Amino acid sequence: MTDQATLAVRDLRVEVESKPILRGVDLDVAQGEIHALMGPNGSGKSTLAYTLMGHPKYVVTGGSASFDGRDLLALTPDERARLGLFLCFQYPTAIPGVTTVNFLRAALRSLGKEMKAREFLNRLKEEMDELRIDESFRSRYINDGFSGGEKKRSEILQLAMLRPRLAILDETDSGLDVDALRTVAEGVMRLAGPDMGVLVITHYPRILEYLRPDAVHVLHQGRVVTSGGYELAQRIERDGYEPIIGTAVAEPAGV
Amino acid sequence: MTAAAAGAGELTTLSPEIVRLRAETSPDWLAQRRRAAWDAFESMPWPSSQRDEDWRRTDISGLRAERFLPLDDVDGGMAASMAQAWDSAEPNAAFAMDAPNVGPAVSDADALLAQGVIITTLEEAAALHPELVQRALARVAIDESKFIALWNALWRGGVFVYVPRGVEALAPAWIAHPASGDERAVIPATVVLLDDASSLTVVDAYASPPGPHELFSDAVTMLNIGRDAQLDYILLQQWGERVWHVATHRATLEANARLHFFGATLGSHVQKSYWEALLDGAGSEADIAGVCFAEHDQHIDHQSLQAHRARDTRSDLLLKVAVRDKARSVYSGLIDVAPEAVHADGYVQNRNLLLSEGAKADSVPRLEIKANDVRCGHGATAGHIDEEQRFYFQSRAVRRADADALIVRGFLDDIVKRVPHPGVAKLVASLLDAEVSGLPQIGLAEAEAQDED
Repeated sequence: MTDQATLAVRDLRVEVESKPILRGVDLDVAQGEIHALMGPNGSGKSTLAYTLMGHPKYVVTGGSASFDGRDLLALTPDERARLGLFLCFQYPTAIPGVTTVNFLRAALRSLGKEMKAREFLNRLKEEMDELRIDESFRSRYINDGFSGGEKKRSEILQLAMLRPRLAILDETDSGLDVDALRTVAEGVMRLAGPDMGVLVITHYPRILEYLRPDAVHVLHQGRVVTSGGYELAQRIERDGYEPIIGTAVAEPAGV
Repeated sequence: MTAAAAGAGELTTLSPEIVRLRAETSPDWLAQRRRAAWDAFESMPWPSSQRDEDWRRTDISGLRAERFLPLDDVDGGMAASMAQAWDSAEPNAAFAMDAPNVGPAVSDADALLAQGVIITTLEEAAALHPELVQRALARVAIDESKFIALWNALWRGGVFVYVPRGVEALAPAWIAHPASGDERAVIPATVVLLDDASSLTVVDAYASPPGPHELFSDAVTMLNIGRDAQLDYILLQQWGERVWHVATHRATLEANARLHFFGATLGSHVQKSYWEALLDGAGSEADIAGVCFAEHDQHIDHQSLQAHRARDTRSDLLLKVAVRDKARSVYSGLIDVAPEAVHADGYVQNRNLLLSEGAKADSVPRLEIKANDVRCGHGATAGHIDEEQRFYFQSRAVRRADADALIVRGFLDDIVKRVPHPGVAKLVASLLDAEVSGLPQIGLAEAEAQDED
């Protein structure tokens, strides 16, 4: 059990451009578990993802976040990544001139997981086959001219190659058609397990049918207003957020 | 040949005795040209950033040219390292060394010579093939500028390449202009003449050792491309960090001629380099690409000219510049379309990446269009490293400095694809890797090569 690293978020408060977005988030995700973070638009889900990864635009004004006992907030984004955190971006940025291959090799080297070129290319091919990614991908500049679906597959490809201890999926399901969603979800499920926990951020319960999370949390107005098991996601699918949020708002969280 | 040490009583580059000396060893036509050029040089003032538009952003008042001695003895190690670069990038190329005291002037040229190609020193060509050299120098007037006048008066050694009509050269010509020493002036000369329907690849490399040695280089490259001929030209500027470099690289294109020009500017303290394509013949085309990485207190000035002088001519120029520390890049470029150049198609573009607060890039692309029915455009950008790109790398564990290096290298990557020779493209890529320090050596080429095992 000591090998299991836990993400522990306590009363986390975050501002973006002086506007408070997270108003005291509490969350625990153990390395071997799959958690879903749901909530309507603007509830602060992506803010939490970016804050945990250390994007400079997100200013922490209170609370704490740790992973494997280390204070995340004191670390640079690359140090967090070396600790085992990984963020699957909703809109990953293009880096013209840097190929997918070079990007991945730079990442592996930085993680201390460098491989020989031959081994690297073999593994890359396996993972690309699993994700039904065309071979031309590896020499294309990363995310440059990629379609929405290609970007999502590319993010999962990186996840598969880099093998973090905790993957945060920021709306990885958005904009995917049914087949692509299945491919991506199966890709995640192949990796999830005792070695990799998952925090999946989504509006839609559909991806959760594949991922079958151990826990579901609902974020609203910058706070986790309720948590439950997979059945909570099913309830949201059936009734929408309103009944849950309505209840939550009626129970002031003792500010 | 003389292993002269700097000392009292020696002739500096700018003394009239030097031109007399040069004229003495030249054929008559050239001696005359040299003397006339010297007179022109003496009658012209040094360029001034107050008076001369070309020099408005590049101040050379610190250049004390009168102090410099002519460079007679190039350091053997410098010459050897340039030969090594040639050997690893393109061992099949004929090699010409523009240094009077080092080894044979031309080596490994058998394949070209068998095709009837002439490759020799410009000095020898001026004596043996005066009509060809005169033809090749027709478009560099002795009095067009102070520096060109000086070059016309004083060049020595030099390299001349001639490809006869219809000959497609089987091997590239690799021309090395090494320099060394302190307070020395070097006057490099490259003159290329491609007769009709011929083709050739030329590498034109300039280098001196790193260190505080002050050198002054006044270079001219003349590239004459005949009808239906094609020239691939690659310029590598790797002067040491205290070199003053003024250069003109000029191509003239006859009907349906084609030029691929690639320039890499990596060295020198202050540079003013003119890149010119004179599209004289109908249907001629010039593709010009350049990359520049400047750091410390480098001041790098590129000035380009795409002169459309005939119908159906096409030109494209892209210069990518990354500047770091307190370095400064100055770019000005003109597409000049003459009234007779109907259907001209020209584009000029300069993109700059600023890597520190003190770094600066000025960019002035311009169009002057006197013809109807043309398609011309220009663009210029300057920006800092994208925060989102940096964060993306960092989120994948890549340290900030490595991320920045990879982003810079990425910014410059597409330009490397425009190097019109695979071996030299690899060389340019590795030079850029070395310049962009902190870059993990993880070229795609390396991985792909392994893949083919």
